[in-house]
Amino acid sequence: MKLSTYEPDALPPGVRRLSYGLFCWLNRHTTVLRAFGALLRHWPSVGGRLGLAARASAVRDVLTRTRSFSNTAHAANMVSGDYLIGMDPGPTYSADRDLVHARLAALDVPADSDAEAQQRIKALSGRGVGAFDLIDDYLMWVVFHAMRPLFGAATGAVVAGSATASAQGDVDEGLQRQYMLEIRYVAGQLLAGSLATLDLRRRAEACGDALQARIDRVSGPIGAAWGVKSASEDIERNAVGLAWISHPVTVQSGALIVQELLGRAKVYEELRSKAGRLGEPGVWTDPEFRKIVRNHVLELMRFRPIFPLLARDVPRDTEMKTGARYNAGCPGGGKVSLLSIAALFDPSAVPQSGRFCPDRDWGKNDALRYLMFGYGTRQCPARDHAVEILTSALIGLLTLPRLQLARGEGKAIAYDGPLMLRMRMRTT
Amino acid sequence: MLEIVRQQMICIVAPGWGGGAEIPKQLHDALDALLEDVAVVHFASIGLLPALAGAPNQQPVLVLELAVEEGLRPYDLLYRLVYHPDGAMWTLFGAMVAPHVAVPTAKDKEQLLNQLMSWHSIAAGGFVGARDRSVRQIKMESDLLDQTRIEARKLKPKYSNDRTAFALALARWAYANPRFEWAVKPAPRSYWRGKGASIGAKLAYPVAAIVLWFVVLGIVWALPRAYNWFFGEPGHVGRAIEDAVTKTSECLLTMSWHGLLAFALIAFLVWLFLVPLPAQFVSWRRWLNSVQQELDRPTQTLSSLATYAGGWLIGVPLLLAVAACALAYTVAPLAYAVAPDYMINVVEPKLPKLTGLQIVGIAVVAIAAVLCIGALFYRLNRRFKKLSEQFFHPLEDDVPRAQQIHPSIERCEADLVDGTQHMFSLTELRGPPWWSAWCIRAALRIVTFAGRVFFTQGWLGNAPGIHFGHWHIIDNGRRFLFCSNYDGNFGGYLDDFINGAAVGTTLAWRWTELRPRAPALPEQPGIAKPRSFPPTRFVVFRGVKCELRFKSYARDSMLPHLYHFDACNRTVDQINLATGLRDALFGERNEKNDDLIMRVIET
Repeated sequence: MKLSTYEPDALPPGVRRLSYGLFCWLNRHTTVLRAFGALLRHWPSVGGRLGLAARASAVRDVLTRTRSFSNTAHAANMVSGDYLIGMDPGPTYSADRDLVHARLAALDVPADSDAEAQQRIKALSGRGVGAFDLIDDYLMWVVFHAMRPLFGAATGAVVAGSATASAQGDVDEGLQRQYMLEIRYVAGQLLAGSLATLDLRRRAEACGDALQARIDRVSGPIGAAWGVKSASEDIERNAVGLAWISHPVTVQSGALIVQELLGRAKVYEELRSKAGRLGEPGVWTDPEFRKIVRNHVLELMRFRPIFPLLARDVPRDTEMKTGARYNAGCPGGGKVSLLSIAALFDPSAVPQSGRFCPDRDWGKNDALRYLMFGYGTRQCPARDHAVEILTSALIGLLTLPRLQLARGEGKAIAYDGPLMLRMRMRTT
Repeated sequence: MLEIVRQQMICIVAPGWGGGAEIPKQLHDALDALLEDVAVVHFASIGLLPALAGAPNQQPVLVLELAVEEGLRPYDLLYRLVYHPDGAMWTLFGAMVAPHVAVPTAKDKEQLLNQLMSWHSIAAGGFVGARDRSVRQIKMESDLLDQTRIEARKLKPKYSNDRTAFALALARWAYANPRFEWAVKPAPRSYWRGKGASIGAKLAYPVAAIVLWFVVLGIVWALPRAYNWFFGEPGHVGRAIEDAVTKTSECLLTMSWHGLLAFALIAFLVWLFLVPLPAQFVSWRRWLNSVQQELDRPTQTLSSLATYAGGWLIGVPLLLAVAACALAYTVAPLAYAVAPDYMINVVEPKLPKLTGLQIVGIAVVAIAAVLCIGALFYRLNRRFKKLSEQFFHPLEDDVPRAQQIHPSIERCEADLVDGTQHMFSLTELRGPPWWSAWCIRAALRIVTFAGRVFFTQGWLGNAPGIHFGHWHIIDNGRRFLFCSNYDGNFGGYLDDFINGAAVGTTLAWRWTELRPRAPALPEQPGIAKPRSFPPTRFVVFRGVKCELRFKSYARDSMLPHLYHFDACNRTVDQINLATGLRDALFGERNEKNDDLIMRVIET
């Protein structure tokens, strides 16, 4: 089990706060990143010198050469221990991946996500209150309930952090909320990366320690629920990883796509009117409408990917195809950065890349459509599940009266570094 | 930058303690288990403060002191403690938040967390001795130290006095031991202990700020010109704006230069008086020492009174005059810009016209005069010995009574005799509390800054052995709480402060006093006789130098602890030694590292 032994900040005071502030600002203003990406696509050799890949072909190339460009770049930011996403291929990686696939097969999406979304929407409508928090009152729960089968019968024990009889079944909602906050900060560190300020990193480490301690106490019930006889440390590693990576990233993605959708009033109105025409329960059962919403989800994610920037370790000297006349040299021991948002807007791979077009024909580049989930063999195994959950969540929101950000009560969106902490919405 | 230090030392001041003067054994063990498990708390202590006079609730106030690793925000720490499944925090504080709730729900815990956040106080100032080290790191490095010593004993007969071969053998052993794989990476160091340890790096910040200021002024000055060059001659409004910007920026630029020059000159004079002159002239050195000695003299004598009076009559006016000159020189460009005629026709004729040579001549004569006066007094002292003895004879007794230590305090000290000692001290703020609180906060920020940036090797000034020392202004600025975890014993600890960090300690405590107070509980100490902190001179002199009075004051202000947790139980020296050994064993093989390894295993 990984123990957090903190490292003090070796940068001069002020420098980290400045660089982290800039990083968060860029994450929130993806237009700037896209403009920067466009420049690098135009002059790929400049990007090569900076260790940056921006063209779709270059990003794809780096993501498929997993031996030359390693995922271990994530490891330093995984405060609760090693997991698939930060591992190099090997026996542990393969075994863990098989386990994850088995766990994902247990999910019943979109049925579960639809059911929870309907229930939450009903509660929000019945409450009669115009304002609500998209993350805390809606998305967090839709994703949580859709992913319950990941831990199966042990979900209650994981949430309560206890294997006692009182922790079986549905546990107190307050405890569930606390659990989800805990894993949010652990995932937040993966987003914030090595630039994160010391206090943010320490918070993530404290939550990572708590998550490990929680899983450690219930590794028995988890093993039983999974029906595996692996060593306790294997169960712990996978349980911890599954806990923090699945939920918060999907919730953040959901918040980002809603933010993007609300910024596109015409698209939103069009979808709402379609939902209105179908009415209840047609919106949930009509396959054509679901497909339209799903396409919208993917297109919205293209504009607001949760990881607009990715990093990869370079274990040994190699070259990177940037699209320039000459390949860029990558010295071993260094890192390269991938502007995935620039690749998603590369006009040579994406027709009419600047336009919001959910029905775009991607042709032979269809795989690129899912670049926000990674690419090739290291792509997120829960890709389709995540899209389905977000589709359910969005359908639910489309059945509500017109939504807008609740700007009148302070800031509608509260950020915590690159993470969205709150998103106050109001029905009009 | 200072907040990161202040947040490391938290006190939760919770009114309405309904328990007794002892923590039940079960809770004691639960707290130990909780803090061990969380593994970010270096020290924790619980004490009881008497209720504030006039407070509606006259039950004792429970204080939980937490000294934690760097970078953790109080909310995150308390969140981790409150939501820990063992529930020790609820057992301790639950009755004060929601009585009669044995098994708290998530809502109860949230209520407790919110209450603890409202009760918590981060340090107004503090010092951390063993910086940049986590609890786990200290434990792992201590293990490395212990194992290395065991291995060294085994290898000693083989290598005897061959230090290089001995150190090499130990390094090989450490490298080959998979248990110490973590130590291959050098011990992490924060900026001020690593790359920023040099004076140059420390000076870089003010220099960069000054340069940036001048660059900004230059840009502002150049902007209208660049605009004119780009777009052609401006109209009336444009010209007016250009004039205003030019005049303002030129005035600010000149004022900045003047201010910088004045500051440089004052810095040079201070350096001249304190460094080269004492080094060159014995009488100057003797005079400087005697002034400091007299100002710090713990007992009242004619000599100290005369020095004090001399300070007021000569020193203070002289310093004020220098400051006024520097200020006038700095703001002169502004006066010339606002009222040029008045300055030229009225002020300038009144200013003495001195050449540089004349000014230097006056300075030399002044220095010579001080030297002569110093020499004269020295001779007079030796010539008239009887008069001199009377002059230096104490006019008062030091401490009028024998010191009585409350048994509870003695018991606490005895409990910790083999480990890190702990101290709670509670005093009241004197005079208008808002003024005292402001002064204390300002002084403590200076102490904290100095500790953070300059005293990075475990010593505060010349005072060693402090793990975590911190001050809190509590009860809306009416009371002052000092908590410390230190090595050695109480007397030695205060001696270190008196001799090693007198100015900082005097600054921290000079605005406090002891008022009569009833004990928190019958078994606890109270205060019968009111007293002030020993008198100070010119804010920073004397004070703690009144050794017996200061020790008596500190002793009487102390409160016993009911619970104490020490995660590592190592002295600051041992911690530093273990970190040094790690770096030396896994660093490059050279004389310095070999010597360090040998010293560590021989210590």
